Amino acid sequence: MVWLWGFFVLVLFFLLGEAIRVVAGLPISGGVIGMVLVTLKLMIRGDITDSLAAASQGLISVLVLLITPGVVGVFFIADQFSGQWLIVAVALVLGTLLSVATTLWLMSAVAKADEKGAGHE
Amino acid sequence: MSESNDWLTRLMDAWLSGPMLSIGLTLAAFIAAQWLFATFRRPLWMPPVLIAAVILAVIVWVSGIGLSEYQQGARWLTVLLGPATVALGVPLYQQMHHIRALWRPILFTLPVAATLAAGYALGIAWLMGASPLVLASLAPKSVTAPIAIGIANELGGSVSLTLGGLLITGVLASLFVEWLTRWLKITDERIIGFTLGLNGHAIATARAFEISPMAGAFSSLGMGLTGVFTALFLPLAFMLVS
Repeated sequence: MVWLWGFFVLVLFFLLGEAIRVVAGLPISGGVIGMVLVTLKLMIRGDITDSLAAASQGLISVLVLLITPGVVGVFFIADQFSGQWLIVAVALVLGTLLSVATTLWLMSAVAKADEKGAGHE
Repeated sequence: MSESNDWLTRLMDAWLSGPMLSIGLTLAAFIAAQWLFATFRRPLWMPPVLIAAVILAVIVWVSGIGLSEYQQGARWLTVLLGPATVALGVPLYQQMHHIRALWRPILFTLPVAATLAAGYALGIAWLMGASPLVLASLAPKSVTAPIAIGIANELGGSVSLTLGGLLITGVLASLFVEWLTRWLKITDERIIGFTLGLNGHAIATARAFEISPMAGAFSSLGMGLTGVFTALFLPLAFMLVS
């Protein structure tokens, strides 16, 4: 049960993230706030317990499993596109293709330029 | 005949009274998907999450369980997405030296790419004459689900349409990143991971962790940063445009 303490820590940080979201009125989810807080806590601490590492590795390894029930809904939403399904389909497919291509290109270009710049310094 | 039907009805009632049938089906589909994916030599166009979802959709539809009943039971699994999102902070910390080395490209790419992730789809939909409701629902399509729901509400969109667009975007982003990185011969896992998370939120992040822990950490980073950036700036931009 080495992961139990780690799982407890993750749940605590999730609850803490939710608390901050509600109190500060942030439009960001409690999970993401908790993720940032855990990262900061670990950076301050400078190392990580075996228990937390085991718990997070366990959860991340079943991430696909946790997402699947939501993805099933894709096959049942045709009627929600309120008669505009063609527009929605084209916008999603073309828009995602373009934005993935742009991100890849931009990130590669900037990373390359950055490396060159660092080399000159 | 009627007696056996009666028996079947009572069995389904018993199975559906708790979440265990949904959990069992999800586990079975997940395991079957992993096996099929390996057996068919890892087809790029059919990631495990899509195989599992197709299997479950067919079962849910044919058996007459119904989507809402299934998803209600599966909540016992999906509720773990909360602590699982927090858990993404751990690889983020473990890969921090890689992230530090790349912080300038990340900070430069983020605002442009996150804006375009929403902008392209919105522009295309607008040109094709989409209704304001559809536009508001599509705007947060690249953001992780809990954040997207909040944005859609704020913009006056339909949450169910947003979630649909979100899921499709996540699956498409995973596919397109695979195709384009092969085509463009990009092998840097930091760039692949960041692109996955920025465009395809948690679905693509799950894919990134299948590539490597480093790709997963960069995907978590891309997902988190895009979520925060979009949540802050999209409602503002939407207000200025409309």
